[in-house]
Amino acid sequence: MMIDIKDLCITFGAGNHQIHAVRNANLQVAEGDSYGLVGESGSGKSTILRAMVGINARWTGSIEVDGNTLTPKRTVASRKHMQMVFQDPYGSLHPRRTVDDTLSEPLVIHKMDKREDRIIRILKEVGLGPEFRFRYPHQLSGGQRQRVAIARALILEPRVILLDEPTSALDVSVQAEILNLLSDLRKTHGLTYIMVSHDLAVVGHLCSKIAVMNRGEIIEEITEEQMRTGEVEHDYTRQLWTASHGYDRAALESFREFA
Amino acid sequence: MNEMFTTGLSSEPPTDEPLVSVRDLHVRFSTPKGPVHAVRGVSFDLGRERLGIVGESGSGKSQTGRALLRLTAGNGSINARKMVFDGLNLMRASEKTMRGIRGSRISMIMQDPKYSLNPVLTVGAQIAESCRRHENISKADAKKRALAMLETVRIREPEKVYNLYPHQVSGGMGQRIMIAMMLITNPQVMIADEPTSALDVTVQMQVLKLLDDMVRERGMGLVLISHDLQLVSSFCDRVLVMYGGRIMETLDAKNLDQAQHPYTKGLLNCLPRLDGTHDDLPVLKRDPAWLTEPEHADGGLS
Repeated sequence: MMIDIKDLCITFGAGNHQIHAVRNANLQVAEGDSYGLVGESGSGKSTILRAMVGINARWTGSIEVDGNTLTPKRTVASRKHMQMVFQDPYGSLHPRRTVDDTLSEPLVIHKMDKREDRIIRILKEVGLGPEFRFRYPHQLSGGQRQRVAIARALILEPRVILLDEPTSALDVSVQAEILNLLSDLRKTHGLTYIMVSHDLAVVGHLCSKIAVMNRGEIIEEITEEQMRTGEVEHDYTRQLWTASHGYDRAALESFREFA
Repeated sequence: MNEMFTTGLSSEPPTDEPLVSVRDLHVRFSTPKGPVHAVRGVSFDLGRERLGIVGESGSGKSQTGRALLRLTAGNGSINARKMVFDGLNLMRASEKTMRGIRGSRISMIMQDPKYSLNPVLTVGAQIAESCRRHENISKADAKKRALAMLETVRIREPEKVYNLYPHQVSGGMGQRIMIAMMLITNPQVMIADEPTSALDVTVQMQVLKLLDDMVRERGMGLVLISHDLQLVSSFCDRVLVMYGGRIMETLDAKNLDQAQHPYTKGLLNCLPRLDGTHDDLPVLKRDPAWLTEPEHADGGLS
């Protein structure tokens, strides 16, 4: 198993105001696989990614990546193997740094050599020409920015990439391009993905296994086959699946809240 | 204040007459980088129906909606051969007449309730204000109407919600509050600009159902502006597909799979499908000729 998470619990706040953002999450992802996390806002899906990558250190349970047990405290070397792509390409790139600066920084931190070669090569891989190297984010479109964000994650040659809603801010035609790029990169580099999205169709397109989350709990794990047919166990999953098929007045009558 | 609404308006229009009729609408902006021609000759009619306007960012769909209310930004100009609402020429109407129409007879729901609600007023006060601004009624009556409206948009415990501030409500509830605010004046036409894009899918459906109810029960005309072609086609009666400020194609929503225009087909094909495979998605190839070809520009109208 590339990723093995057991009994992951994440809480925010303390005392009466404590919020259990993630409760006893368990998930396993094989090497080279692509795993999806879907759920509505506040279900805890992004919180899992943030704990994995080390942005949030307040968690209990065990996270094992590539045989190494991760602790809340990380070393520089351990961060190299797992990188993250964020949702909003407008907010995740420094507005006053060129693409070259953005891509150099991780190389400097991790003391990697042949920086120029690596930057040129990675830009080509994500489908940007060398002319983009000295541009600022405001000179790029949303899709191009997201390509830079993917290049930044990929330049450290990680084994695992965590994708937090990588296409939700993009137009559908650009979304298709980015999804194709992500699936090509996974094949060529043998990467392992965990992808978070609220869009069942997007996750289903990229992932072979999908965990459905509601209020901090993984309520069901479904396969791509179940995704196609809609033969799922849990009522919440079925409701999500129905809603993802567009407006259906009759089906709406049966919708309810799941606590 | 009431006489303002009646000046220049025909009383009850015949039902087959469209509520809004637009011909050859242009919206231009002058920017420091030169002129931008955002909407280029759009024509359509709106009856008591659900009309969808679909397009990608920059296609001019929102500007088309805003032009109907003459809410175009200061550096923009609107031109149209005809832009008529219920017998009233919107191009010629005075600013005073427009103020009487906006929010009262034509309402608009904005995309993000977080930025469209006033953060320092309770949501109830905002809904009641919308009512008092357009009708000459007492504060107590306005509050009663606002509470009734909150119930209509399926908010539990309206009394409690009435006194909440926008930051205390969730996104879905905020959007319902926006809708309540816009519906309380009983408008004839509603322009909804991406009303559900920020919401979870199940909440999205519930909000759409509210709008659907208004069209069915009150005979309202609804313009739903969205980037989501599948959603719009499952909800609306007719869909206008826009690209580069022009209408590429007008479709009956149920005949979406028979779309003729390569842009519409491209948009449909590049969507990942629940029952699809992991193969690469077809990428949309844009043809510059779409912006010059004349036949679809009028949306199938002469």
